[in-house]
Amino acid sequence: MFNIRTRRAALAAAAVTASAALVLTGCSGGSAPAATYDPDEKVTLDFAFWGNDVRAEMYDKAIAAFNEEYPNITVNTSFLGFPEYWEKRQTEAAGGGLPDVMQFDYSYLRQYSENGLLLDLTPYLGNIIDTEPLSDQILDIGVVGDETTGIPTSTNAWGMYTNPTLLEEVGVDEFAGGDWEDYNAWMKEVTDAAAAKGVELWGGTDYTGRIQNFEIQQRAKGEDLFTEDGEPNFTKEDLAAFWEQGDGIRTDGTVIGQQRLEEVNPLSGFDAALTASELTWDNFGAGYLGNLGEGYTELGLVAPPVTEDGAKDLYLKPSMLHSIAATTKHPEAAATLLNYLVNAPEVGEAFGTNRGIPASETQLEGAKLDPLGQQIADYEASISDRLGDAPPVPIVGYGTLEEKFRQIGQELGYGTLTVDEAVDQFFAEMDVVLNQ
Amino acid sequence: MTVSTTLTRAIVTADESGTRRPGRRGPDVPARAGIKARNRRETATGYTFLLPWIIGFVGLTLGPMLYSLYLAFTKYNLFTEPKWIGFDNFTRMFTEDPVYIQSVQITLVYVLVGTPIKLAAALAVAMLLNYRDRGSAFFRSSFYAPSLIGASVSVAIVWRAMFSTDGPVDNTLSFFGIEIGGWVGNVAMVLPMMILLAVWQFGAPMVIFLAGLKQIPKELYEAAEVDGAGPVRKFRSVTFPMLSSVIFFNLLLELINAFQVFASAYIISNGSGGPAGMTNFYTVYLYKRGFADLQMGYAAAMAWVLVIVVAIIAALLFKTQKSWVHYAGENR
Repeated sequence: MFNIRTRRAALAAAAVTASAALVLTGCSGGSAPAATYDPDEKVTLDFAFWGNDVRAEMYDKAIAAFNEEYPNITVNTSFLGFPEYWEKRQTEAAGGGLPDVMQFDYSYLRQYSENGLLLDLTPYLGNIIDTEPLSDQILDIGVVGDETTGIPTSTNAWGMYTNPTLLEEVGVDEFAGGDWEDYNAWMKEVTDAAAAKGVELWGGTDYTGRIQNFEIQQRAKGEDLFTEDGEPNFTKEDLAAFWEQGDGIRTDGTVIGQQRLEEVNPLSGFDAALTASELTWDNFGAGYLGNLGEGYTELGLVAPPVTEDGAKDLYLKPSMLHSIAATTKHPEAAATLLNYLVNAPEVGEAFGTNRGIPASETQLEGAKLDPLGQQIADYEASISDRLGDAPPVPIVGYGTLEEKFRQIGQELGYGTLTVDEAVDQFFAEMDVVLNQ
Repeated sequence: MTVSTTLTRAIVTADESGTRRPGRRGPDVPARAGIKARNRRETATGYTFLLPWIIGFVGLTLGPMLYSLYLAFTKYNLFTEPKWIGFDNFTRMFTEDPVYIQSVQITLVYVLVGTPIKLAAALAVAMLLNYRDRGSAFFRSSFYAPSLIGASVSVAIVWRAMFSTDGPVDNTLSFFGIEIGGWVGNVAMVLPMMILLAVWQFGAPMVIFLAGLKQIPKELYEAAEVDGAGPVRKFRSVTFPMLSSVIFFNLLLELINAFQVFASAYIISNGSGGPAGMTNFYTVYLYKRGFADLQMGYAAAMAWVLVIVVAIIAALLFKTQKSWVHYAGENR
């Protein structure tokens, strides 16, 4: 007969044996049963995320709630801005010292997974990591090859934020929808109205500087940017045509100039209340409100301009995932923390929609959406007829190409590159990245 | 940084080995065999004391350098095994990478324009401080301060704010009728701004100049004055030749430092090298290639090209020094 104590000891012994067996066989396959975390074991975990002070406070709350349930797991958190976060991870990855649990980005998932840097979570799914509240589509997002190396915390979609306060100030109506030409015309109306009133405000930012806008235009033709095999799926002509769309608005002053943007960097023109609209991911709202500061209590969130009527150009993407380093010494405890961060209603309550619309049902229920969160949820519901299948997991080096695209957009804005030169540069870079 | 410290170290070591201890050749010199044994013992002791440095040098400097030389000929993304590709990295640099060419150009402008101005400013202020002693400690420290804090994050941020549209610099210039606007986001003005930031940190060469100026015997100036020399003539015939070795030292050091400009550019552009790549200095671009784009082989190749170029420039400088640098006690 077992009493509780011996049973726990037996479980712990089983856990140790199982994990030892896993280590010894070097096996991470799905068939081996995963050990569970022994709540009496004292463990310290490193957890890293990108974000800002606002998000850091939310994580503090979430981890305090976690520690009420698991007092023996100490969590050391650290955070950086997005680009620095990845620079640091890359060096850690090279040196074999990644944090136990990490906030992860979709564009780097393939690279890290294929190099065996992330723990295969398959053995933990259904026991330590509760899969009930997560849909199969959500779980599929984190699968690279045959391994689940990330669990999405939340999803987001491409959208367009507008600033009703500023629009009212210059007396222009909200963008009523339409194609890219309509959007250009609307931006010009805002810019002209602002100029007439002597307000430093533009209708928007040159949207050809963002790869996502190119992507949705390509998707409207039924083509993702990259094929399943990771080959580019667009021609030089496609890209040139896209960048040329910006020629008019860049030169006639419709959109904010590069110099002004550079001065407010790292804020965007929209953050700095210098533009009335910005195309971006729909979970950026809270950050915008935070940066805009007092006097700005609401934002508009509408669908991006339409390229083709009825096309499925938009898609839901994981706004971020959580992953565990393959090198972690405490995979069970790390999985326990990951499960909590993804599924716990308390975490949902702490974050709202800061990380996007929670992917987990239990977390969504806990999230008690604030007005902005509700607005984002409504937005995602409103674009359902434009949502298509998500593109394949981004190719290795996608992050580099996204950044290169942004920098080329900047140079086009300054007029230091012609469209043809820009296209050549991008293709040269893509050639290097894809052949790595 | 490494290059310059190694150089300084080399210079210092050369000085030390050049000084012979007096009294070694006295009458009580032991027999030949004794000298040998003693020399061996001394050498052994010397090397024992050097050992920590040697281990550090081989493990932390020489080893990584040789490894990076190997990487320069490979494709290496930090995660998978490096793949040998011969000279591809180097050909890509010069024929297929316009951003590289741009970064070389702006770095050269920065070095060739910034260094002489910085040295001129350092020398001018050093001469002013040398002119009279009252309060010189205060001025010396205040002029030196920017060098200490110049590469810090806070200064770059303040600098950014100062040179923005409607910042203090813009407003001051507008007051005098010069309408430039902000410098930070202006493709044409951001490089001059970076040069200004470098010149502003002239404290370190200034202190060295000052030390050099103090070494010049007063009699030389008195003699020149007696011969009727004015200030310009005194500078040309006394100060410059007497100071030439110090100028040479500063020039070498500052050139090498300028080639390695990184922190200020990285912070001012928020790591982007913008606007339009105008702060994408050599090392900034190298860093981004290595750690953001994971093209470590390419970054290593870039680093080696920089090492070679700096070495060539240093060698050329050493060659020219015969014609203009005078060392005290030199036989002429």
